[in-house]
Amino acid sequence: MTDIASAATIGATIDSRPIVRRRKKRITGRSVAVLVFLTICALFFCVPLYVVLTTSLKTMDEIRQGQIFALPQTWTLEAWRFAWFEACSGINCNGLRVGFWNSVLILVPSLMLSVALSIVTGYALALWDVRWAGTFLFLMFMCAFVPFQIIMYPLIAMTRSIGVYGTIWGVAVVHAVLAMPVLVLIFRNYYKDIPQEIMSAAIMDSGSFWRIFGEIILPMSGNILIVVVILQLTSIWNDYLIGVTFGGFNTQPMTVNLANMVTVSTGTASYNVDMAAALLTAIPPLLIYFLVGKFFVAGITAGAIKG
Amino acid sequence: MPRVSFERIHKTYGAVSILKNLDLSIDHGDFLVLLGPSGCGKTTLLNMLAGLTDVTDGRILIGDRDVTDLDPKDRGLAMVFQSYALYPTKTVRGNLRFGLASARLPAPEMDRRVAWAAKLLQIEPLLDRKPAQLSGGQRQRVAIGRALVKHAEVLLFDEPLSNLDAKLRTEMRLEIKRLHEELNPTVVYVTHDQIEAMTMATRIAVMNGGVIQQFGTPDEIYERPANLFVAGFIGSPAMNLKKARIAKRDGLVTGRFGNGQEIVLTDYGFARAPQDGAEIIVGLRPEYFGPPDAPVNGAAAVFDLPVAHTERTGSDATGYLRFDDGLLSLRVEPGQAARLAGGQKVRVAFPPGKANLFDAATGGRL
Amino acid sequence: MSIRWTRVAPQLALSPALAVTMVAFIGSILWTITLSLTRSRRVPDYGIDWTEWSRQYARLFNDDGWTIALWNLITLGIGSALAIVFGFILAAMIDREKRGESFFRTVFLYPLAVSLIVTGVAWRWILNPDMGLEATLQRWGFEGVSLNWLAQGDTAMYAIILASVWQSAGFYMALMIAGLKSINSEIWSAARLDGVGLWRLYTEIIIPMMKFTFLTCAILLSLGVIKAFDIVLAMTNGGPGQSTWVPAYFVINALAQKQNLGYASAAAVMMLVLTAVVFLPLVLLTAWQARRRNAA
Repeated sequence: MTDIASAATIGATIDSRPIVRRRKKRITGRSVAVLVFLTICALFFCVPLYVVLTTSLKTMDEIRQGQIFALPQTWTLEAWRFAWFEACSGINCNGLRVGFWNSVLILVPSLMLSVALSIVTGYALALWDVRWAGTFLFLMFMCAFVPFQIIMYPLIAMTRSIGVYGTIWGVAVVHAVLAMPVLVLIFRNYYKDIPQEIMSAAIMDSGSFWRIFGEIILPMSGNILIVVVILQLTSIWNDYLIGVTFGGFNTQPMTVNLANMVTVSTGTASYNVDMAAALLTAIPPLLIYFLVGKFFVAGITAGAIKG
Repeated sequence: MPRVSFERIHKTYGAVSILKNLDLSIDHGDFLVLLGPSGCGKTTLLNMLAGLTDVTDGRILIGDRDVTDLDPKDRGLAMVFQSYALYPTKTVRGNLRFGLASARLPAPEMDRRVAWAAKLLQIEPLLDRKPAQLSGGQRQRVAIGRALVKHAEVLLFDEPLSNLDAKLRTEMRLEIKRLHEELNPTVVYVTHDQIEAMTMATRIAVMNGGVIQQFGTPDEIYERPANLFVAGFIGSPAMNLKKARIAKRDGLVTGRFGNGQEIVLTDYGFARAPQDGAEIIVGLRPEYFGPPDAPVNGAAAVFDLPVAHTERTGSDATGYLRFDDGLLSLRVEPGQAARLAGGQKVRVAFPPGKANLFDAATGGRL
Repeated sequence: MSIRWTRVAPQLALSPALAVTMVAFIGSILWTITLSLTRSRRVPDYGIDWTEWSRQYARLFNDDGWTIALWNLITLGIGSALAIVFGFILAAMIDREKRGESFFRTVFLYPLAVSLIVTGVAWRWILNPDMGLEATLQRWGFEGVSLNWLAQGDTAMYAIILASVWQSAGFYMALMIAGLKSINSEIWSAARLDGVGLWRLYTEIIIPMMKFTFLTCAILLSLGVIKAFDIVLAMTNGGPGQSTWVPAYFVINALAQKQNLGYASAAAVMMLVLTAVVFLPLVLLTAWQARRRNAA
């Protein structure tokens, strides 16, 4: 625990250096109290990650001693190996890698479908003169808040009737459909800030909807595209309900695999394996978060507020 | 054959009427300036011609083609925008080429035209820069270049100089005028700046409240304003507009002001013989007054008035004299302005044939 | 008259989204409402007996499971509201004490990047009575500590609340920081010059100025609570018994386990009604803000 605390304070000082450099702030008693409180809170937030990580590196014997905060006496990656290669999800005992690759396979078409559908819609709504755009936008705004359960059965019936139910494409289509309202609103709000005269110039120069999109608008959308892609990447990866409902028996994403492993575990529970599996599932979005956190935060707040 | 004509144009937004029954047509090679205060409908009219705004009722013709329902790019137009509207992610070259590439021109032809426009506007060294790396004046040149490369029949300008500082504005004004003389396209140019209008236009349409108040050459607009609005809008310092009454005696027609002063109007080209006692408004341009206290010879009016104050505006000076219950402005030599002390009475004369008369009730020219 | 592509093309481009909205959202909602009026069980049966169209709803309100789900929804809503309070405190502290701002932000927000299934697995392990936190605390001498919340119906909801507060506090913190940053910095200086105490500064000036941020957070929280499913599934799977059922879980259960389509649809419609109740103030709020912006 002290290690984390010192790591945290080191992190804090390193991090704040550029901010402090501008004008050296006097350290007051109040500052110290605030920093101590924030550090305690930070520990509270870090505890689960620490516990999960250390547990995943312990043996079951050690875990049974009931010292959840202790560091492993013997460090082992056995639980990770087992979780990845051999853990059972239902009757399938090929480990979490099955779910990992399913998730990757689901991610690619889901991402492409949902971004493509919503970027074009946002562009058309924001920058072209369509008489019913306002009404449509309002409708979409309402749809952004509809709970999934109310459209769940009809979506099952529809995907079944076009033959994609239980396949990766079924999951991808449903992701695209459900994400569309929020993503359209995000894109539309971004494009609304493009000066009208640039659009007028482009309409007089070319007049082609797709040419203007490809040559003028898309090159201006770099930031918002990154934000939306990251938002979708994490939310598709972390999704459970759509995956479990629309994924077939062999096309279930990693989260579903994980849930099956830990809830329907037969025999004695192997907590180290469970924790390793949980971490494996969490690593891709965590990597994204720590690498490009700024865009991630922009994405979730944009999705929440502007939606 | 007229190059651009508007026929019975109406435009309404909901219940608000922007343009009412507007007719206007100009010839090939004309430089038309749509001039008016903001909100007069001039930009709406330009956008309708461009195809960016729908026409509620009426027709727009370019040459003998009815373009009312054509897409903007099919109208054979090019436009320069107030904010320049350069494509931020494209280089200057890319900006110039975009419209040409959309028209599927062969590559050598595109290069030829870009090179031509770049040379004409002296932007050759800038071709590979992005708009963000250009100064305001350079952006303006690129925006004009983007319009020129299209070899459009009609060029549209929407207040293109209003974002430039005064010095650049004068420079670009001359530049646009030079381009018009060199290339002789038909131009429709929207502005609220009367100096731009007077210096560049071959035709001016003064607009107010969605109606064209007067359409004519700059000289006609300036010398013979069709109504009080045009008279007051054109000219700086503004025309003196003073209430008077027609007085007829002994075959002499005069206008009698509220303070008893008179102006001889016998040689004014009345459209209709005025009635005795009719209320009129007399418009006197400040620059037609003779120098103060100079010997008077055959003037239409001679006023003896006290000086209120003087204003020096660089090469010019304006004197303000107390007249009736207001002020009368007149242009004076800067050297003389210094000699006009407040309160001092001076004698000024207005020459014959230069006054403008308007009906006090309708505001129309008499 | 020729075709004006600048008019037609955008409408064509919008048509897929329009179709999706009309079919997958509007159409599906109407479909589910229709189903909720029928006796459909495993397969849809579209005959509606108008004399007793409300039978599924009547059954629903006599179902103990549904009552529990509604009470749990309220408990979860009140409990999760802690995340807003917590988020505001964190935001206020980070915003005042600029040191380490991005570090603390990063730490407080990371749970949001993780799947709720993972969150549930982690917290279930921490709350494990034999080998988890409870065992450690008891070993440290806190003999009376009982963290075996998940095993008992009356405490299991608290575990879910704990996990969801942990997961979402950072999110509300991010919204609150954005709200705090939009407050004119002169306010702070003015308050310092006037010698206003910190407590009064926050309660009388800052919080009232941020009422829209708080309202937004509250609405987002309510909508999130209505949709809460993953965390319940991962923490308790509805148990023990039916004690942690929430409406979202109820609907999925009725559909997947009971295979009762009409019944599940009726519960889903009730979820939509709940959403509408929360959503209505948001619409009014946006309209009001838009009007205020126009007036300004």
